[in-house]
Amino acid sequence: MKWVKDWYLSDIILLALIGVFFGIIFLGTNYIYDILAAVFAPLGLSQIPNELLLGLWCMPGMLAGYMLRIKGSSVLGEFLASVVEMLFGGQWGASTMISGVLQGVGSELGFTLTRYKHYDWLGLVATAATTTIVTFGWDLARSGYAKLQLWLLLLFFVIRFCSMFVFGGLLTRAITDLLDRSHVLKKTHTN
Amino acid sequence: MNPSLKLLLLLIVALEISFTNIVSLNVALVVLSIIYLLACRVKLRTLLWLLIVPLIPAIGLWSTQYINGTGQKELMAWVLFTRIYAFVFTGATLTLTTDVLALADSLEQNCHLPSKFAYGVLAAYNLAPKIKHEVQVIRAAGLMRGQTLSFWSPQLYFKAILIAINWSQNLAQAMSSHGFVEDAPRTHYRQIQIRTSDWVILIGGVLLLQVGVFVMPWR
Repeated sequence: MKWVKDWYLSDIILLALIGVFFGIIFLGTNYIYDILAAVFAPLGLSQIPNELLLGLWCMPGMLAGYMLRIKGSSVLGEFLASVVEMLFGGQWGASTMISGVLQGVGSELGFTLTRYKHYDWLGLVATAATTTIVTFGWDLARSGYAKLQLWLLLLFFVIRFCSMFVFGGLLTRAITDLLDRSHVLKKTHTN
Repeated sequence: MNPSLKLLLLLIVALEISFTNIVSLNVALVVLSIIYLLACRVKLRTLLWLLIVPLIPAIGLWSTQYINGTGQKELMAWVLFTRIYAFVFTGATLTLTTDVLALADSLEQNCHLPSKFAYGVLAAYNLAPKIKHEVQVIRAAGLMRGQTLSFWSPQLYFKAILIAINWSQNLAQAMSSHGFVEDAPRTHYRQIQIRTSDWVILIGGVLLLQVGVFVMPWR
């Protein structure tokens, strides 16, 4: 259990607090999702709003990995966010935790593949790509994507990647730039 | 039932129904969950709410398969429709009936989760009402300066993270000053045990699920 030692109590509380904060900010997006899903449902495309917003829901993991730069912070950040969401009475129950772990592992893989050295655009694109691939694999089974027509799958995949990049890449970068400028992350940032 | 074992059982159920395509099994799980929830005296209004909330995503998944699916479109559409409800109702058997504190205690004592994770997450979770208020404060402060902070504004997250950093250090300090030592062995005031009956329910539940998946000639 060596990894346990890398984590201090304040880091754990920080990630959990960020999970709660983001969860509360995201609450409003549920209504947007519902309205959009209802609009797209008659066309059989109601997964499109899900794909559009998924990047937002995966952002805690990508942001945690990019901001804290500790191995495993993406997994822990996204997992804690999903646990908090589940405890809040998020309606998806235990499956939230499974999605949380998978999204976290997906985001972490991007940083792992770039050897935890590229905290720049390369790292962000990599984490957006791996998060897209891992979550998409899970949806092939869970949301029945495996049974859909190919053109639709490709469309969903492209939209999902764009969403991951916009929220996990552009927005994460904008947020961490603001944090950098305010010098609150001195102790963990190296470059 | 012991909270950790209940969580484990629900995770196994959620994983397994994600990979099976049996409508009746999903419906059976929903019915079982409703019986359990009623036995735990969950209000009817809450149950009704649980039926309404997932309706739009469920219809969405249904129509996606029905219109754009391949192969057995109709079957798959209903599988996904009922699967959503199975997720929601099995999940509710944990979130509506189990105390969060009991779950954290159980994970720490029964599953040997390091105590800093159990108490750290609990500390953050218990601040949720304050955090809700704080998000409103950030938004109101933005409005005073003529900035509308929405879910795509970096400023909103930036301010939220600043507060989170501040509070996390305060909380960690408060916990240490109350005698919390990271990675040190602890004794427990609230003891949570795993009874034999808990193991019987877990193993019985998993076996029953396998019967439902592989043995029952549904439909």
